[in-house]
Amino acid sequence: MADRATETEDGRLKFMQQMISLDYAIRVPVVSREFGRRLKDGEISGHECPQCGLVYVPPRGFCPICVVETTWEQDAVTVSDTGTLTSWTVLTPIQYHGQQERDDYALASILLDGADGTIGQQRLLDIPLDEIRMGVRVEAVWADPSERSGESGDPRGYGFGDAIRGFRPSGEPDADRETYEKHTL
Amino acid sequence: MRDVAIVSFAQAPAQSRVETTETQMLYPVVNEAIARSGLERRDIGFTCSGSADYLQGAPFAFVGNLEATGAWPPISESHVEMDGAWALYEAWVRLQHGDVDAALVFSSGISSKANLREVLCLQSDPYYLMPLWADPWSLAALQARAFLDANGHDERSLAEVVARSRRLASGNPNAQVSGEVSVDDLLAEPHVVSPLRASDAPPVSDGAAAIVLVAGEAAREACEHPAWIRGIDHRADPHYPGVRDLSTSASARQAAEAAGVAGGPVEVAELHASFSHEELILRDALGLDDDVEVNPSGGPLCGNPMMVSGLVRLGEAFRQINEHGKQRTVGHAASGPCLQQNLVCVLEGDA
Repeated sequence: MADRATETEDGRLKFMQQMISLDYAIRVPVVSREFGRRLKDGEISGHECPQCGLVYVPPRGFCPICVVETTWEQDAVTVSDTGTLTSWTVLTPIQYHGQQERDDYALASILLDGADGTIGQQRLLDIPLDEIRMGVRVEAVWADPSERSGESGDPRGYGFGDAIRGFRPSGEPDADRETYEKHTL
Repeated sequence: MRDVAIVSFAQAPAQSRVETTETQMLYPVVNEAIARSGLERRDIGFTCSGSADYLQGAPFAFVGNLEATGAWPPISESHVEMDGAWALYEAWVRLQHGDVDAALVFSSGISSKANLREVLCLQSDPYYLMPLWADPWSLAALQARAFLDANGHDERSLAEVVARSRRLASGNPNAQVSGEVSVDDLLAEPHVVSPLRASDAPPVSDGAAAIVLVAGEAAREACEHPAWIRGIDHRADPHYPGVRDLSTSASARQAAEAAGVAGGPVEVAELHASFSHEELILRDALGLDDDVEVNPSGGPLCGNPMMVSGLVRLGEAFRQINEHGKQRTVGHAASGPCLQQNLVCVLEGDA
């Protein structure tokens, strides 16, 4: 296990690398499976709270504000695959073990048209890093249907899995600040 | 000290390989605990939760769990990376401040996503124990051997604990393992790590639980038979098992003394004994007489969701007073290898 130890000049142990791996078996939650199935068909869906009307994408199976249950049968809605960029981070990948990225890239929060919350950590495509700004109108870049697994992708139900590769500018004028100012994250 | 009582308890059934998120598992449990308390959400002045992100392999997973509580408008809350019993302790301390009167405690754990023996290795110290992959089974077996050698018990004593626990669990709809099994049949099983057999260890369980605490007279308005916390204390043994006398549990003994277990007769004790021999060590450390009913729920040997099992023990000790007319019960929670850390809570009814 200490096969990558480094020593000081007088032979004392200085650093010892200890690689640890844990394997997790992810069981896609029941609520997320239908979300994944619809993504495979090219549809972004959510649940609309029957009490407050907020639309959750992806759906959680309940409204965390009203604390009431939501179901695919009663509360399913379809939202657009276009939206507004509300926040972003440029990442400079450190080359740790397992790192796949080599170049700087950006992840953004996207407020989809028809949804009441942003989707975080979406890859930004086809936009120079120094031109990213709040309010950019974006559209989803879908993976080829054959590449969509139909599972939710994220076991906690946050993302689009392998159905959507990222978002790119749609070419529309920037959105008015009022349309997204309550959704900065 | 301000009188604080448990007024409601709810739990999800212990099971393996659940197909929900922790948050989805918590949502009905938290709702049920609040509904049973008779309180409104806005009456709850403090919320504290216990869970471990390692179990689901997702950093900050505990933050998402707050969605199960309806945390809007924003609530006052805290989290411990420990069993929910320690979250209850923090909530009890918080209620001692006197400015809030009710607290929600909840905990959750999905233990079945990874190899639990590997995951729990990582709680050991990273220099001496973890590189050995000294997993909970191996460490528990060391303790079991030390206990048997020091106290003149044999493996039959361990099998008797297992057989009794499974029989009692037949009456517990939340148990994962239950049923009649003979001591001889258990002893015919092979060892996994001597002197322990598979039956001496708990199942790998996913689960969630929630408890509502209310301070003062309001507890009697919230609940017909509240269980008053008359003593609560937690202590820790040294991290490194090699410096301890593993045949006993000094920290459990000290916590029991500080919580006042000996201050009156104990009718029922719910002990967080994850391995069969731990029940025998804890009986002795807590000074429980032979006539004390131990783990009428079946205990952790019959359902053991990590981070939840200790809080369930306190909840089951509450139910003995609230539903079964008992007067004085003890709830115990443990953490770490070989009963390294122990929490003891003495509950009393009103009558």
